[in-house]
Amino acid sequence: MTLSSSATADHIYATGLRNQWHAVVPSHHVAPGAMRKVTALGEQWLLFRRSDGVLSMLADRCPHRGAPLSLGKHLGDRVACWYHGVEVEPDGTVSSVPGLPGCGLEGKKLVTSLPVREVAGAILAYFGDEEHPEPVELTLPEPLTDPEVDAFLCYAEWNAPWRYAVENLLDPMHGAFLHHESHTMSDGDTTAKFRIRETARGYFFEKTDQRGVNFDWVELCRTGVDWVDLSIPYPPSAGPGGPFGIVGMVCPVDERRSGVFFWRYRRVADWQRASWRFLYRTVIEQRHWDVLEQDRVMLEAMPADADQRENLYQHDLGVVRLRRLYRAAAEAQSAAGA
Amino acid sequence: MTDTWPRLDVHQSRTHEPTPYEYKLAATLEEVFTREGHELADVVRGLNTRQVHAADGAPWTEESFRAEMNRLGA
Ligand code: FES
Ligand SMILES: [Fe+2]
Repeated sequence: MTLSSSATADHIYATGLRNQWHAVVPSHHVAPGAMRKVTALGEQWLLFRRSDGVLSMLADRCPHRGAPLSLGKHLGDRVACWYHGVEVEPDGTVSSVPGLPGCGLEGKKLVTSLPVREVAGAILAYFGDEEHPEPVELTLPEPLTDPEVDAFLCYAEWNAPWRYAVENLLDPMHGAFLHHESHTMSDGDTTAKFRIRETARGYFFEKTDQRGVNFDWVELCRTGVDWVDLSIPYPPSAGPGGPFGIVGMVCPVDERRSGVFFWRYRRVADWQRASWRFLYRTVIEQRHWDVLEQDRVMLEAMPADADQRENLYQHDLGVVRLRRLYRAAAEAQSAAGA
Repeated sequence: MTDTWPRLDVHQSRTHEPTPYEYKLAATLEEVFTREGHELADVVRGLNTRQVHAADGAPWTEESFRAEMNRLGA
């Protein structure tokens, strides 16, 4: 079993684009010496971590008769299926068939194993289809690699399609309404003109007449993994250091569910960094969470056919652009496998 | 680690529930940042005039405040 490139464009559009990296779950969800079942891109997977910390990601399907490996036993450096004891190594190779030693399955790489990287507290995996098993180059978001930037990851699970979660981020205008009562977004105009500015890695969707007041711009970046960058001013109570930024990623779990990853980051050093981190943990994290809950409540309440019966206007250009891009990519990936 | 869905944890950055001292310090710090500004000297003075002192009861100095922030914000 693997991600089939014969999937229809509709299936890919609904469950996430292939042949790129996606965030899966936070790193700490898989302790050293532990394993964990996860769903991503509509498929079942097993995250397996050796006691020395090395992580691997396997299709959650035993190569013998298809039982979930996640019900099996962690043997330190491999997993043993509970059903008949077949042992699988982290790279997907069958190392032993205890019931029939010497059996032809032994030594064969029969389980899909995805390339993984751990980045700023999150597990990223490359989801190639049958024709593209080799990972594409991954350029990480600079705010997550810049030593002068400090970030906290917030992860949440939403009963909303992955695309709605991304579209929400390409729709900055909702900040002035949905989040109007929040600690960071009460200022600024509730009317705006937007424009799209193409970049080498994606595009900006930004207000033409206001900057640095509210949620005024967002950049979609496609750098082997899809992510957004945006910035929102903090009130003076948050202390020195200026606005906070968000790097956002969305994991397509399945057609109706998403894992959302928001790194709240700030360019701060020394005591300013320490005081932000202290305030973040003690009081700010809760406020950010309350804002995020507003997004969750709205997106989870959207009807399943929400995007079939719309009347869009100028503020929705960022969303329209996103859909066109993802739809075209889904069509191309489906056609390539046909 | 359970794999129950959905996982919705408000606090993902904390190592412990803040103590009453930490809550008090955070609330006062926000007020000081709002009213006195963002310079270290102003912040230290703002905390001291509000009588919100270090855990040992001593008035803040720039050094002690810095050290405490580094501890709490590590
Ligand atoms: S199904 Fe796993 S060992 Fe038989
Ligand atoms: Fe929002």
